[in-house]
Amino acid sequence: MKQPEVFDITIIGGGPVGLFTAFYAGMRQASVKIIESLPQLGGQLSALYPKKYIYDIAGFPKVRAKELVDQLREQMNQFEPTICLKQSVESIVRTGDGKFAITTNEETHYAKAVIITAGNGAFQPRKMNIEGVDKFGNANLHYFVQDLTQFAGKKVVVFGGGDSAVDWALMLEPIAEKVTIIHRRDKFRAHEHSVEQMKQSKVEILTPYVPVQLAGDEKIERVILTEAKSGEPLEIEVDDVLVNYGFVSSLGPIKDWGLEIKSNTIVVNSRMETNIEGIYAAGDICTYEGKVKLIASGFGEAPTAVSNAKAYIDPSAKVQPLHSTSIMGEKEKSGSAV
Amino acid sequence: MATYTVVNQETCIACGACGASAPEIFDYNDEGIAFAILDDNLGITEVPHELEEDLKDALDGCPTDSIKVSSEPFTCKSVQAG
Repeated sequence: MKQPEVFDITIIGGGPVGLFTAFYAGMRQASVKIIESLPQLGGQLSALYPKKYIYDIAGFPKVRAKELVDQLREQMNQFEPTICLKQSVESIVRTGDGKFAITTNEETHYAKAVIITAGNGAFQPRKMNIEGVDKFGNANLHYFVQDLTQFAGKKVVVFGGGDSAVDWALMLEPIAEKVTIIHRRDKFRAHEHSVEQMKQSKVEILTPYVPVQLAGDEKIERVILTEAKSGEPLEIEVDDVLVNYGFVSSLGPIKDWGLEIKSNTIVVNSRMETNIEGIYAAGDICTYEGKVKLIASGFGEAPTAVSNAKAYIDPSAKVQPLHSTSIMGEKEKSGSAV
Repeated sequence: MATYTVVNQETCIACGACGASAPEIFDYNDEGIAFAILDDNLGITEVPHELEEDLKDALDGCPTDSIKVSSEPFTCKSVQAG
């Protein structure tokens, strides 16, 4: 059997602090893997408020959350980290040779050091909770769109009233045969501009309707709705159903890894090290005296965690890194820069 | 039917979603943690009927399920248990 690759640093959580941690670890010549529960990177910035401006990132008078994620990804990708999406970490165990075995719902990863940048714990899409949901599994019920082309020529129903529901309805409109958006009230929470654009488009808007049942044999063939006020039923034929009910996060199994936890956060020392040697934490998930939960402070904690993890992995490495100008200058000279 | 609401500030992550959905019901303290404006997060004042849909939006949008809604006034005990 092929030996699994052991990464120097494995990062749990692909939010903004996780992405910057990956960049910094790359710059310190560590091999890096990121494990993220959602099928996308960016954490809260992508899941909760991609269009919101953030005003307290050093060097950016203001930046949209999505743009910040794009920039962080570009910065990180200079070092081509390995990214494992749609995996939630269930346990971390130290193996006999002092490394860590990190087991997710999919597989086991191996690392010399671990940095947890999991924010508030793993995000999951908020599930639809009506009759018939469990019966169809993931056949044609989607909580994410990864490939728009799979909806080509299909009749798609989108549930939700927020930005992602409206944005996906707009993206699908030119591709799908028909897009219907269903929301339980007439007013949408999404950005006004997007709602206006949707009203001008071919997207059929059904409000105020609530779903009561998904029906069909092997997959969802019909959705059964009721008008929110009158209770009058309505049945629609569908090929695919997309649910955008937002996200929920919880610390989940992190509590069982033997880490010192205080008010749903992991206690670290000034090296960002947890009570388990070789496991570090940064960003919203960590706490210490005087901790401030901001992206800006998480960006400061990342190099501290990485540099100390680097010295832990390789005791001959200095904690204090060279300036990035020197490191990146060397990298460009050697022609390995992307 | 009367509706009451309160934010569990132990689990709130200050993401700002509730105030965006229901600005007349929720605001944030100095740390960005949400609270119900109606009665300083006691959960004992009825939510005006015309704001109930906004409240439902906020409830649906809260990523940590920190918004608690009940048809009866909250007591300290019920918030902790919630």
